[in-house]
Amino acid sequence: MQIKALKLQNFRNHESTLVDWLPHLNVITGPNGAGKTSLIDAIHYLCMSRSFVSNSDQYVILQGESYFMLKGDFSGTVRSEFEVACSYSRGDGKKIFVNDGPLDRLSDLIGMVPVVVLSPDDKRLTREGPIERRSFLDSFISQISNQYLRDLLDYRRIRRQRNSLLQQYANAPHMLEMYLEPWNKQLVDAGASIVDARHKVLEKFKAYLAQDYAMISGMNLTTDLEYKTFCDASVGIEDIKKQYYDKLAESQEKEIEREQTLVGPHRDEIVFYLGDRELRQYGSQGQHRLFALSLKLAQLHYYSDELDDLPIFMLDDVFGDLDPQKTQILLEALKNHPGQIFITSANPVPFEDVIEFDGERNQLIRIEQAEIVGKE
Amino acid sequence: MQLTSEYLERAIEQLSKLPGTGRKSAQRIAIHLLKQNDEYALKLANAIIDLKQKVIRCSTCGNVSDADPCNICDNSKRENGQICVVEEFNDVYIIEKTNEFRGRYHVLGGVISPMDNVGPDQLKIQDLLKRVGGNEHIKEVILALNPDAEGEATSYYINKLLTPYEVKVTRIAYGIPMGTELEFIDEATLSRAFTSRSAF
Repeated sequence: MQIKALKLQNFRNHESTLVDWLPHLNVITGPNGAGKTSLIDAIHYLCMSRSFVSNSDQYVILQGESYFMLKGDFSGTVRSEFEVACSYSRGDGKKIFVNDGPLDRLSDLIGMVPVVVLSPDDKRLTREGPIERRSFLDSFISQISNQYLRDLLDYRRIRRQRNSLLQQYANAPHMLEMYLEPWNKQLVDAGASIVDARHKVLEKFKAYLAQDYAMISGMNLTTDLEYKTFCDASVGIEDIKKQYYDKLAESQEKEIEREQTLVGPHRDEIVFYLGDRELRQYGSQGQHRLFALSLKLAQLHYYSDELDDLPIFMLDDVFGDLDPQKTQILLEALKNHPGQIFITSANPVPFEDVIEFDGERNQLIRIEQAEIVGKE
Repeated sequence: MQLTSEYLERAIEQLSKLPGTGRKSAQRIAIHLLKQNDEYALKLANAIIDLKQKVIRCSTCGNVSDADPCNICDNSKRENGQICVVEEFNDVYIIEKTNEFRGRYHVLGGVISPMDNVGPDQLKIQDLLKRVGGNEHIKEVILALNPDAEGEATSYYINKLLTPYEVKVTRIAYGIPMGTELEFIDEATLSRAFTSRSAF
Protein backbone atom coordinates (compact mmCIF):
# COMPACT_ATOMS: atom_id res chain seq x y z
CA MET A 1 0.00 0.00 0.00
CA GLN A 2 1.26 3.42 -0.84
CA ILE A 3 0.19 6.99 -0.21
CA LYS A 4 0.69 9.04 -3.37
CA ALA A 5 -0.30 12.52 -2.24
CA LEU A 6 -1.15 14.20 1.03
CA LYS A 7 -2.95 17.40 1.94
CA LEU A 8 -3.09 18.99 5.40
CA GLN A 9 -5.22 21.88 6.54
CA ASN A 10 -5.03 23.41 10.02
CA PHE A 11 -3.35 20.25 11.22
CA ARG A 12 -0.99 20.81 14.17
CA ASN A 13 1.34 23.57 12.97
CA HIS A 14 0.48 23.15 9.27
CA GLU A 15 -1.92 25.77 8.00
CA SER A 16 -2.00 24.41 4.50
CA THR A 17 0.49 21.89 3.14
CA LEU A 18 0.34 19.81 0.01
CA VAL A 19 2.74 17.02 -0.88
CA ASP A 20 1.87 15.81 -4.36
CA TRP A 21 4.60 13.23 -4.84
CA LEU A 22 5.47 10.51 -2.34
CA PRO A 23 7.71 7.71 -3.65
CA HIS A 24 9.00 4.53 -1.99
CA LEU A 25 11.30 6.15 0.57
CA ASN A 26 10.75 9.61 2.01
CA VAL A 27 13.12 11.29 4.43
CA ILE A 28 11.62 14.40 6.02
CA THR A 29 14.17 16.71 7.53
CA GLY A 30 14.25 20.14 9.09
CA PRO A 31 14.86 21.93 12.39
CA ASN A 32 13.08 20.95 15.62
CA GLY A 33 9.47 22.06 15.64
CA ALA A 34 9.33 22.49 11.86
CA GLY A 35 6.40 20.07 11.48
CA LYS A 36 8.14 16.85 10.39
CA THR A 37 6.28 14.55 12.75
CA SER A 38 3.01 16.33 11.94
CA LEU A 39 3.38 15.26 8.35
CA ILE A 40 3.60 11.57 9.15
CA ASP A 41 1.05 11.89 11.95
CA ALA A 42 -1.36 13.13 9.27
CA ILE A 43 -0.77 9.89 7.37
CA HIS A 44 -1.33 7.96 10.59
CA TYR A 45 -4.68 9.72 11.00
CA LEU A 46 -5.73 8.64 7.54
CA CYS A 47 -4.83 5.02 8.37
CA MET A 48 -5.97 4.70 11.99
CA SER A 49 -8.33 7.67 12.48
CA ARG A 50 -6.18 8.97 15.31
CA SER A 51 -2.83 10.54 16.13
CA PHE A 52 0.13 8.50 17.27
CA VAL A 53 1.47 11.51 19.18
CA SER A 54 -1.50 13.16 20.88
CA ASN A 55 -4.34 11.45 22.69
CA SER A 56 -6.93 14.07 21.94
CA ASP A 57 -8.21 15.22 18.56
CA GLN A 58 -8.82 18.78 19.64
CA TYR A 59 -5.19 19.46 20.48
CA VAL A 60 -4.31 18.55 16.93
CA ILE A 61 -6.13 21.56 15.47
CA LEU A 62 -3.93 24.52 14.53
CA GLN A 63 -4.14 27.15 17.22
CA GLY A 64 -6.91 29.68 16.64
CA GLU A 65 -8.77 27.47 14.15
CA SER A 66 -11.93 25.45 14.68
CA TYR A 67 -11.29 22.42 12.46
CA PHE A 68 -8.67 20.38 10.66
CA MET A 69 -8.91 18.48 7.40
CA LEU A 70 -6.67 15.80 5.89
CA LYS A 71 -6.72 14.10 2.53
CA GLY A 72 -4.62 11.29 1.13
CA ASP A 73 -4.53 9.50 -2.21
CA PHE A 74 -3.72 5.84 -1.74
CA SER A 75 -3.04 2.97 -4.07
CA GLY A 76 -2.70 -0.71 -3.35
CA THR A 77 -3.22 -4.13 -4.84
CA VAL A 78 -6.53 -5.04 -3.20
CA ARG A 79 -8.08 -1.61 -3.73
CA SER A 80 -6.27 0.03 -6.59
CA GLU A 81 -6.83 3.79 -6.19
CA PHE A 82 -8.78 5.48 -3.44
CA GLU A 83 -8.95 8.67 -1.44
CA VAL A 84 -9.30 8.90 2.33
CA ALA A 85 -10.30 12.17 3.97
CA CYS A 86 -10.54 12.93 7.66
CA SER A 87 -12.09 16.03 9.15
CA TYR A 88 -12.51 17.09 12.71
CA SER A 89 -14.22 20.11 14.19
CA ARG A 90 -15.16 20.85 17.76
CA GLY A 91 -18.86 20.92 16.92
CA ASP A 92 -19.18 18.01 14.52
CA GLY A 93 -16.47 15.71 15.84
CA LYS A 94 -14.50 13.41 13.58
CA LYS A 95 -15.60 12.21 10.18
CA ILE A 96 -13.90 9.88 7.73
CA PHE A 97 -14.67 9.73 4.03
CA VAL A 98 -13.48 7.07 1.61
CA ASN A 99 -13.87 8.22 -2.00
CA ASP A 100 -16.20 10.96 -0.72
CA GLY A 101 -18.51 8.44 0.96
CA PRO A 102 -18.76 8.90 4.73
CA LEU A 103 -17.90 5.87 6.90
CA ASP A 104 -20.62 4.96 9.41
CA ARG A 105 -18.10 3.63 11.89
CA LEU A 106 -14.59 4.99 12.31
CA SER A 107 -13.54 1.42 13.07
CA ASP A 108 -14.27 0.46 9.45
CA LEU A 109 -11.20 2.43 8.45
CA ILE A 110 -8.79 0.32 10.47
CA GLY A 111 -6.93 -2.17 8.32
CA MET A 112 -7.70 -0.45 5.02
CA VAL A 113 -4.19 0.99 5.00
CA PRO A 114 -1.99 -0.99 7.41
CA VAL A 115 0.66 1.10 9.13
CA VAL A 116 3.60 0.48 11.47
CA VAL A 117 5.15 3.34 13.45
CA LEU A 118 8.49 3.42 15.17
CA SER A 119 8.74 6.36 17.56
CA PRO A 120 10.65 7.49 20.64
CA ASP A 121 7.53 6.56 22.65
CA ASP A 122 8.17 2.89 21.92
CA LYS A 123 10.43 2.64 24.93
CA ARG A 124 7.26 2.57 27.02
CA LEU A 125 6.32 -0.74 25.38
CA THR A 126 8.80 -2.83 27.31
CA ARG A 127 9.30 -0.68 30.42
CA GLU A 128 5.88 0.49 31.50
CA GLY A 129 2.81 -1.41 32.72
CA PRO A 130 0.86 -4.12 30.88
CA ILE A 131 -1.59 -1.62 29.38
CA GLU A 132 1.13 -0.50 26.94
CA ARG A 133 1.65 -4.03 25.68
CA ARG A 134 -2.07 -4.73 25.44
CA SER A 135 -2.64 -1.64 23.36
CA PHE A 136 0.30 -2.54 21.10
CA LEU A 137 -1.19 -5.99 20.62
CA ASP A 138 -4.70 -4.62 20.06
CA SER A 139 -3.61 -2.20 17.41
CA PHE A 140 -1.44 -4.94 15.89
CA ILE A 141 -4.24 -7.48 15.51
CA SER A 142 -6.98 -4.96 14.71
CA GLN A 143 -5.17 -3.98 11.56
CA ILE A 144 -5.14 -7.55 10.29
CA SER A 145 -8.54 -8.66 11.60
CA ASN A 146 -11.67 -6.55 11.57
CA GLN A 147 -13.39 -9.26 13.56
CA TYR A 148 -10.84 -8.79 16.36
CA LEU A 149 -11.49 -5.06 16.50
CA ARG A 150 -15.22 -5.69 16.66
CA ASP A 151 -14.80 -8.24 19.46
CA LEU A 152 -12.64 -5.74 21.30
CA LEU A 153 -15.24 -2.97 21.08
CA ASP A 154 -18.04 -5.38 22.06
CA TYR A 155 -16.01 -6.70 24.96
CA ARG A 156 -15.31 -3.21 26.28
CA ARG A 157 -18.99 -2.32 26.18
CA ILE A 158 -20.16 -5.58 27.75
CA ARG A 159 -17.60 -5.20 30.53
CA ARG A 160 -18.83 -1.68 31.30
CA GLN A 161 -22.43 -2.94 31.47
CA ARG A 162 -21.37 -5.80 33.68
CA ASN A 163 -19.39 -3.52 35.99
CA SER A 164 -22.45 -1.27 36.35
CA LEU A 165 -24.50 -4.29 37.41
CA LEU A 166 -21.88 -5.34 39.93
CA GLN A 167 -21.97 -1.87 41.42
CA GLN A 168 -25.76 -1.60 41.49
CA TYR A 169 -26.49 -5.02 42.96
CA ALA A 170 -23.54 -5.46 45.27
CA ASN A 171 -26.02 -5.79 48.13
CA ALA A 172 -28.39 -8.20 46.41
CA PRO A 173 -26.24 -11.09 45.17
CA HIS A 174 -29.27 -13.27 44.47
CA MET A 175 -30.74 -10.78 41.97
CA LEU A 176 -27.30 -10.12 40.61
CA GLU A 177 -26.77 -13.68 39.50
CA MET A 178 -29.89 -13.65 37.36
CA TYR A 179 -29.07 -10.27 35.86
CA LEU A 180 -25.44 -11.13 35.16
CA GLU A 181 -26.20 -14.25 33.17
CA PRO A 182 -27.07 -12.57 29.82
CA TRP A 183 -23.91 -10.47 30.04
CA ASN A 184 -21.70 -13.37 31.07
CA LYS A 185 -22.52 -15.26 27.90
CA GLN A 186 -21.57 -12.29 25.74
CA LEU A 187 -18.48 -11.51 27.82
CA VAL A 188 -17.31 -15.09 27.36
CA ASP A 189 -18.05 -15.12 23.62
CA ALA A 190 -16.19 -11.88 22.87
CA GLY A 191 -13.46 -12.45 25.47
CA ALA A 192 -12.68 -15.99 24.29
CA SER A 193 -12.34 -14.80 20.69
CA ILE A 194 -9.90 -12.11 21.83
CA VAL A 195 -7.80 -14.55 23.87
CA ASP A 196 -7.74 -17.09 21.03
CA ALA A 197 -6.66 -14.44 18.50
CA ARG A 198 -3.98 -13.02 20.80
CA HIS A 199 -2.56 -16.47 21.44
CA LYS A 200 -2.43 -17.39 17.78
CA VAL A 201 -0.85 -14.13 16.65
CA LEU A 202 1.76 -14.11 19.41
CA GLU A 203 2.75 -17.71 18.71
CA LYS A 204 3.55 -16.74 15.15
CA PHE A 205 5.05 -13.41 16.15
CA LYS A 206 7.76 -15.00 18.34
CA ALA A 207 9.82 -16.11 15.37
CA TYR A 208 9.68 -12.68 13.74
CA LEU A 209 10.77 -11.02 16.96
CA ALA A 210 13.74 -13.37 17.41
CA GLN A 211 14.89 -12.83 13.86
CA ASP A 212 14.67 -9.04 13.98
CA TYR A 213 16.33 -8.75 17.36
CA ALA A 214 19.24 -10.85 16.12
CA MET A 215 19.50 -8.73 12.99
CA ILE A 216 19.47 -5.36 14.73
CA SER A 217 21.57 -6.26 17.77
CA GLY A 218 24.03 -8.50 15.92
CA MET A 219 24.02 -10.67 19.04
CA ASN A 220 23.04 -14.20 19.79
CA LEU A 221 20.86 -13.49 22.83
CA THR A 222 17.57 -15.26 22.16
CA THR A 223 14.29 -13.45 22.65
CA ASP A 224 11.06 -14.97 23.80
CA LEU A 225 7.65 -13.89 24.95
CA GLU A 226 4.96 -15.37 27.12
CA TYR A 227 1.29 -14.61 26.77
CA LYS A 228 -0.27 -14.52 30.21
CA THR A 229 -4.01 -14.75 30.49
CA PHE A 230 -6.53 -16.29 32.90
CA CYS A 231 -6.58 -19.69 31.21
CA ASP A 232 -4.76 -22.05 28.88
CA ALA A 233 -5.11 -20.16 25.62
CA SER A 234 -3.70 -22.89 23.40
CA VAL A 235 -6.71 -25.18 23.47
CA GLY A 236 -8.98 -23.49 20.94
CA ILE A 237 -11.92 -21.19 21.33
CA GLU A 238 -14.53 -23.64 22.63
CA ASP A 239 -12.27 -24.84 25.47
CA ILE A 240 -11.29 -21.27 26.29
CA LYS A 241 -15.00 -20.54 26.75
CA LYS A 242 -15.37 -23.47 29.15
CA GLN A 243 -12.43 -22.31 31.23
CA TYR A 244 -13.78 -18.76 31.14
CA TYR A 245 -17.14 -19.82 32.61
CA ASP A 246 -15.38 -21.77 35.34
CA LYS A 247 -13.13 -18.86 36.24
CA LEU A 248 -16.08 -16.45 36.31
CA ALA A 249 -17.94 -18.74 38.68
CA GLU A 250 -14.85 -19.05 40.87
CA SER A 251 -14.33 -15.31 41.06
CA GLN A 252 -17.93 -14.30 41.54
CA GLU A 253 -17.60 -13.54 45.24
CA LYS A 254 -14.51 -11.49 44.65
CA GLU A 255 -16.14 -9.66 41.76
CA ILE A 256 -19.07 -8.71 43.97
CA GLU A 257 -16.71 -7.56 46.68
CA ARG A 258 -14.61 -5.46 44.31
CA GLU A 259 -17.62 -4.43 42.17
CA GLN A 260 -15.88 -5.06 38.89
CA THR A 261 -15.12 -7.68 36.27
CA LEU A 262 -11.96 -9.51 37.29
CA VAL A 263 -11.63 -12.26 34.69
CA GLY A 264 -10.85 -11.56 31.07
CA PRO A 265 -8.43 -10.34 28.44
CA HIS A 266 -8.52 -6.79 29.85
CA ARG A 267 -6.04 -8.07 32.43
CA ASP A 268 -3.73 -9.90 30.05
CA GLU A 269 0.02 -9.42 30.09
CA ILE A 270 2.85 -10.21 27.71
CA VAL A 271 6.20 -10.94 29.31
CA PHE A 272 9.29 -10.43 27.19
CA TYR A 273 12.48 -12.38 27.73
CA LEU A 274 16.03 -11.75 26.63
CA GLY A 275 18.19 -14.81 27.10
CA ASP A 276 16.52 -16.44 30.09
CA ARG A 277 15.88 -13.21 31.96
CA GLU A 278 12.81 -11.07 32.07
CA LEU A 279 13.49 -7.93 30.05
CA ARG A 280 11.33 -5.59 32.10
CA GLN A 281 13.23 -6.43 35.28
CA TYR A 282 16.75 -6.94 34.06
CA GLY A 283 17.12 -5.24 30.68
CA SER A 284 19.67 -2.46 30.23
CA GLN A 285 18.71 0.84 28.55
CA GLY A 286 20.26 -0.30 25.30
CA GLN A 287 18.52 -3.67 25.41
CA HIS A 288 15.14 -2.01 25.97
CA ARG A 289 15.74 0.29 23.03
CA LEU A 290 16.74 -2.51 20.67
CA PHE A 291 13.90 -4.71 21.87
CA ALA A 292 11.29 -2.04 21.20
CA LEU A 293 12.82 -1.47 17.79
CA SER A 294 12.68 -5.21 17.07
CA LEU A 295 9.03 -5.39 18.13
CA LYS A 296 8.11 -2.84 15.47
CA LEU A 297 10.34 -4.36 12.79
CA ALA A 298 8.79 -7.73 13.59
CA GLN A 299 5.34 -6.19 13.23
CA LEU A 300 6.36 -4.84 9.84
CA HIS A 301 7.68 -8.20 8.68
CA TYR A 302 4.70 -10.09 10.08
CA TYR A 303 2.31 -7.80 8.16
CA SER A 304 4.42 -8.09 5.03
CA ASP A 305 4.00 -11.88 5.07
CA GLU A 306 0.40 -11.91 6.22
CA LEU A 307 -1.25 -9.13 4.22
CA ASP A 308 -1.86 -8.73 0.52
CA ASP A 309 -0.76 -5.11 0.75
CA LEU A 310 2.52 -4.07 2.35
CA PRO A 311 2.10 -1.70 5.30
CA ILE A 312 3.33 1.88 5.32
CA PHE A 313 6.32 2.08 7.66
CA MET A 314 7.07 5.27 9.59
CA LEU A 315 10.18 6.00 11.64
CA ASP A 316 9.77 9.10 13.75
CA ASP A 317 13.00 10.54 15.06
CA VAL A 318 14.60 7.19 15.93
CA PHE A 319 18.03 7.55 14.40
CA GLY A 320 19.36 10.03 16.96
CA ASP A 321 19.26 7.27 19.55
CA LEU A 322 21.21 4.66 17.60
CA ASP A 323 24.96 4.20 17.30
CA PRO A 324 26.48 4.40 13.78
CA GLN A 325 26.65 0.63 13.39
CA LYS A 326 22.97 0.05 14.26
CA THR A 327 22.00 2.99 12.08
CA GLN A 328 23.82 1.33 9.22
CA ILE A 329 22.10 -2.03 9.80
CA LEU A 330 18.66 -0.43 10.01
CA LEU A 331 19.18 1.66 6.90
CA GLU A 332 20.34 -1.36 4.92
CA ALA A 333 17.25 -3.27 6.06
CA LEU A 334 15.05 -0.36 4.99
CA LYS A 335 16.70 -0.07 1.61
CA ASN A 336 15.77 -3.66 0.86
CA HIS A 337 12.23 -3.34 2.19
CA PRO A 338 9.76 -3.20 -0.71
CA GLY A 339 7.03 -1.23 1.12
CA GLN A 340 6.72 2.54 1.44
CA ILE A 341 8.79 4.21 4.17
CA PHE A 342 8.71 7.60 5.92
CA ILE A 343 11.57 8.81 8.09
CA THR A 344 11.71 12.04 10.08
CA SER A 345 15.03 13.31 11.32
CA ALA A 346 16.45 16.69 12.28
CA ASN A 347 19.74 15.62 10.80
CA PRO A 348 19.89 14.27 7.22
CA VAL A 349 23.55 13.25 7.48
CA PRO A 350 23.26 9.50 8.27
CA PHE A 351 21.08 8.96 5.21
CA GLU A 352 23.10 10.74 2.62
CA ASP A 353 25.88 8.13 2.54
CA VAL A 354 23.52 5.17 2.22
CA ILE A 355 20.63 6.48 0.18
CA GLU A 356 20.80 8.16 -3.15
CA PHE A 357 18.11 10.83 -3.24
CA ASP A 358 17.06 10.79 -6.86
CA GLY A 359 13.56 12.18 -6.30
CA GLU A 360 12.21 9.18 -8.21
CA ARG A 361 12.45 6.30 -5.75
CA ASN A 362 14.02 8.10 -2.80
CA GLN A 363 13.01 11.61 -1.84
CA LEU A 364 14.39 14.08 0.68
CA ILE A 365 11.83 16.65 1.85
CA ARG A 366 13.05 19.73 3.69
CA ILE A 367 10.61 21.48 6.01
CA GLU A 368 10.88 24.80 7.78
CA GLN A 369 8.08 26.40 9.81
CA ALA A 370 5.51 23.96 8.46
CA GLU A 371 6.34 24.67 4.87
CA ILE A 372 8.13 22.55 2.34
CA VAL A 373 11.22 24.48 1.33
CA GLY A 374 12.99 21.91 -0.79
CA LYS A 375 12.86 18.46 -2.35
CA GLU A 376 15.64 16.28 -3.67
CA MET B 1 -26.87 43.05 17.65
CA GLN B 2 -30.28 44.57 18.34
CA LEU B 3 -33.27 42.27 18.51
CA THR B 4 -36.40 43.57 16.83
CA SER B 5 -38.68 40.77 17.98
CA GLU B 6 -38.57 39.00 21.26
CA TYR B 7 -41.19 36.51 19.91
CA LEU B 8 -39.10 35.55 16.91
CA GLU B 9 -36.14 34.97 19.17
CA ARG B 10 -38.25 32.78 21.45
CA ALA B 11 -39.45 30.65 18.51
CA ILE B 12 -35.90 30.20 17.24
CA GLU B 13 -34.75 29.11 20.65
CA GLN B 14 -37.47 26.47 20.94
CA LEU B 15 -36.97 25.21 17.38
CA SER B 16 -33.25 24.88 17.82
CA LYS B 17 -33.91 22.29 20.54
CA LEU B 18 -35.32 19.90 17.92
CA PRO B 19 -33.03 16.99 17.05
CA GLY B 20 -30.71 17.70 14.13
CA THR B 21 -31.64 21.37 14.13
CA GLY B 22 -28.95 23.91 14.78
CA ARG B 23 -29.48 27.63 15.28
CA LYS B 24 -29.20 28.39 11.60
CA SER B 25 -31.85 25.87 10.57
CA ALA B 26 -34.05 27.07 13.43
CA GLN B 27 -33.81 30.61 12.08
CA ARG B 28 -34.76 29.42 8.63
CA ILE B 29 -37.78 27.52 9.93
CA ALA B 30 -38.94 30.42 12.09
CA ILE B 31 -38.74 32.86 9.19
CA HIS B 32 -40.56 30.37 6.97
CA LEU B 33 -43.34 30.06 9.56
CA LEU B 34 -43.58 33.81 9.84
CA LYS B 35 -44.30 34.02 6.13
CA GLN B 36 -47.16 31.46 6.25
CA ASN B 37 -50.80 32.39 6.83
CA ASP B 38 -52.42 32.17 10.26
CA GLU B 39 -54.31 28.99 9.42
CA TYR B 40 -51.15 27.01 8.83
CA ALA B 41 -49.58 28.20 12.08
CA LEU B 42 -52.69 27.23 13.99
CA LYS B 43 -52.78 23.79 12.41
CA LEU B 44 -49.14 23.17 13.28
CA ALA B 45 -49.60 24.36 16.85
CA ASN B 46 -52.68 22.17 17.30
CA ALA B 47 -50.93 19.16 15.82
CA ILE B 48 -48.17 19.53 18.39
CA ILE B 49 -50.61 19.92 21.26
CA ASP B 50 -52.70 16.93 20.11
CA LEU B 51 -49.55 14.89 19.76
CA LYS B 52 -48.74 15.46 23.39
CA GLN B 53 -52.27 15.32 24.80
CA LYS B 54 -54.08 12.72 22.73
CA VAL B 55 -51.53 10.10 21.84
CA ILE B 56 -51.47 7.42 24.50
CA ARG B 57 -49.82 4.06 25.07
CA CYS B 58 -51.85 0.92 24.46
CA SER B 59 -52.21 -0.81 27.82
CA THR B 60 -51.89 -4.22 26.17
CA CYS B 61 -48.90 -3.94 23.87
CA GLY B 62 -47.30 -0.61 24.82
CA ASN B 63 -47.54 0.78 21.29
CA VAL B 64 -48.52 4.42 20.69
CA SER B 65 -52.19 4.83 19.87
CA ASP B 66 -55.16 7.19 19.93
CA ALA B 67 -57.33 4.60 21.62
CA ASP B 68 -56.82 1.88 24.19
CA PRO B 69 -56.53 -0.91 23.07
CA CYS B 70 -54.70 0.15 19.93
CA ASN B 71 -56.06 -0.81 16.52
CA ILE B 72 -53.61 -3.69 16.15
CA CYS B 73 -54.58 -5.25 19.49
CA ASP B 74 -58.24 -4.54 18.67
CA ASN B 75 -58.12 -6.02 15.17
CA SER B 76 -59.84 -9.42 15.20
CA LYS B 77 -58.40 -10.28 11.78
CA ARG B 78 -54.84 -10.40 13.08
CA GLU B 79 -53.47 -13.71 14.26
CA ASN B 80 -53.57 -14.34 17.97
CA GLY B 81 -50.88 -16.97 18.24
CA GLN B 82 -47.82 -14.79 17.63
CA ILE B 83 -46.29 -11.88 19.53
CA CYS B 84 -43.42 -9.90 18.08
CA VAL B 85 -41.28 -8.25 20.79
CA VAL B 86 -39.66 -4.95 19.79
CA GLU B 87 -37.64 -2.27 21.52
CA GLU B 88 -39.63 0.84 20.62
CA PHE B 89 -42.88 1.79 18.88
CA ASN B 90 -41.07 2.97 15.77
CA ASP B 91 -39.93 -0.65 15.28
CA VAL B 92 -43.62 -1.62 15.01
CA TYR B 93 -44.01 0.95 12.28
CA ILE B 94 -40.98 -0.43 10.40
CA ILE B 95 -42.18 -4.05 10.64
CA GLU B 96 -45.74 -3.09 9.70
CA LYS B 97 -44.47 -1.52 6.50
CA THR B 98 -43.18 -4.93 5.37
CA ASN B 99 -46.71 -6.46 5.48
CA GLU B 100 -44.95 -9.68 6.47
CA PHE B 101 -46.17 -10.09 10.02
CA ARG B 102 -49.86 -10.49 10.85
CA GLY B 103 -49.65 -11.23 14.56
CA ARG B 104 -49.54 -8.94 17.61
CA TYR B 105 -46.79 -6.77 19.03
CA HIS B 106 -45.23 -6.10 22.37
CA VAL B 107 -43.23 -2.89 22.83
CA LEU B 108 -40.64 -3.11 25.62
CA GLY B 109 -39.88 0.60 25.76
CA GLY B 110 -36.12 0.06 25.65
CA VAL B 111 -33.49 -2.60 26.26
CA ILE B 112 -31.56 -3.66 29.34
CA SER B 113 -28.61 -1.34 29.89
CA PRO B 114 -27.26 -1.25 33.45
CA MET B 115 -24.95 1.69 32.79
CA ASP B 116 -27.98 3.79 31.83
CA ASN B 117 -29.83 2.43 34.86
CA VAL B 118 -32.27 0.46 32.73
CA GLY B 119 -33.02 -2.96 34.20
CA PRO B 120 -35.82 -5.45 33.44
CA ASP B 121 -38.13 -3.63 35.85
CA GLN B 122 -37.95 -0.45 33.81
CA LEU B 123 -39.17 -2.36 30.74
CA LYS B 124 -42.50 -3.99 29.95
CA ILE B 125 -41.16 -7.49 30.49
CA GLN B 126 -43.57 -8.49 33.29
CA ASP B 127 -46.45 -7.37 31.05
CA LEU B 128 -45.16 -9.69 28.34
CA LEU B 129 -45.11 -12.64 30.75
CA LYS B 130 -48.67 -11.82 31.80
CA ARG B 131 -49.78 -11.83 28.18
CA VAL B 132 -48.07 -15.12 27.47
CA GLY B 133 -49.51 -16.71 30.61
CA GLY B 134 -52.95 -15.15 30.03
CA ASN B 135 -55.73 -16.04 27.63
CA GLU B 136 -54.29 -14.78 24.35
CA HIS B 137 -53.41 -18.36 23.27
CA ILE B 138 -49.89 -17.36 22.32
CA LYS B 139 -47.86 -20.09 20.64
CA GLU B 140 -44.81 -18.15 19.51
CA VAL B 141 -42.84 -15.19 20.82
CA ILE B 142 -40.67 -13.61 18.13
CA LEU B 143 -37.77 -11.52 19.45
CA ALA B 144 -36.96 -8.68 17.04
CA LEU B 145 -34.44 -6.62 19.01
CA ASN B 146 -31.30 -5.00 17.63
CA PRO B 147 -28.31 -7.36 17.38
CA ASP B 148 -26.07 -5.27 19.68
CA ALA B 149 -24.85 -6.14 23.18
CA GLU B 150 -27.91 -4.67 24.91
CA GLY B 151 -30.39 -6.23 22.50
CA GLU B 152 -28.70 -9.60 22.89
CA ALA B 153 -28.74 -9.40 26.69
CA THR B 154 -32.43 -8.48 26.66
CA SER B 155 -33.32 -11.33 24.27
CA TYR B 156 -31.36 -13.77 26.40
CA TYR B 157 -33.11 -12.59 29.56
CA ILE B 158 -36.61 -12.79 28.07
CA ASN B 159 -35.93 -16.21 26.59
CA LYS B 160 -34.87 -17.43 30.02
CA LEU B 161 -38.00 -16.07 31.68
CA LEU B 162 -40.18 -17.72 29.05
CA THR B 163 -38.77 -21.24 29.53
CA PRO B 164 -41.47 -22.32 32.03
CA TYR B 165 -44.23 -21.34 29.58
CA GLU B 166 -45.45 -23.54 26.80
CA VAL B 167 -44.44 -21.20 24.05
CA LYS B 168 -41.99 -21.28 21.19
CA VAL B 169 -39.37 -18.51 21.39
CA THR B 170 -37.78 -17.47 18.10
CA ARG B 171 -35.69 -14.54 16.94
CA ILE B 172 -35.52 -12.84 13.57
CA ALA B 173 -32.65 -14.05 11.37
CA TYR B 174 -29.44 -12.10 11.01
CA GLY B 175 -27.76 -12.07 7.67
CA ILE B 176 -27.02 -10.55 4.34
CA PRO B 177 -28.90 -7.37 3.46
CA MET B 178 -30.76 -7.53 0.15
CA GLY B 179 -29.06 -5.94 -2.82
CA THR B 180 -25.50 -6.30 -1.54
CA GLU B 181 -22.73 -8.60 -2.64
CA LEU B 182 -20.93 -11.09 -0.41
CA GLU B 183 -17.67 -9.33 -1.10
CA PHE B 184 -18.79 -6.25 0.81
CA ILE B 185 -20.22 -8.02 3.86
CA ASP B 186 -18.18 -7.83 7.04
CA GLU B 187 -17.01 -11.04 8.69
CA ALA B 188 -19.28 -10.79 11.72
CA THR B 189 -22.42 -10.49 9.62
CA LEU B 190 -21.33 -13.23 7.26
CA SER B 191 -20.54 -15.69 10.02
CA ARG B 192 -23.89 -14.85 11.66
CA ALA B 193 -25.57 -15.49 8.33
CA PHE B 194 -23.93 -18.92 8.22
CA THR B 195 -25.03 -19.89 11.73
CA SER B 196 -28.60 -18.84 11.04
CA ARG B 197 -28.77 -20.31 7.54
CA SER B 198 -32.04 -21.94 6.52
CA ALA B 199 -33.07 -24.86 4.33
CA PHE B 200 -33.44 -24.03 0.66
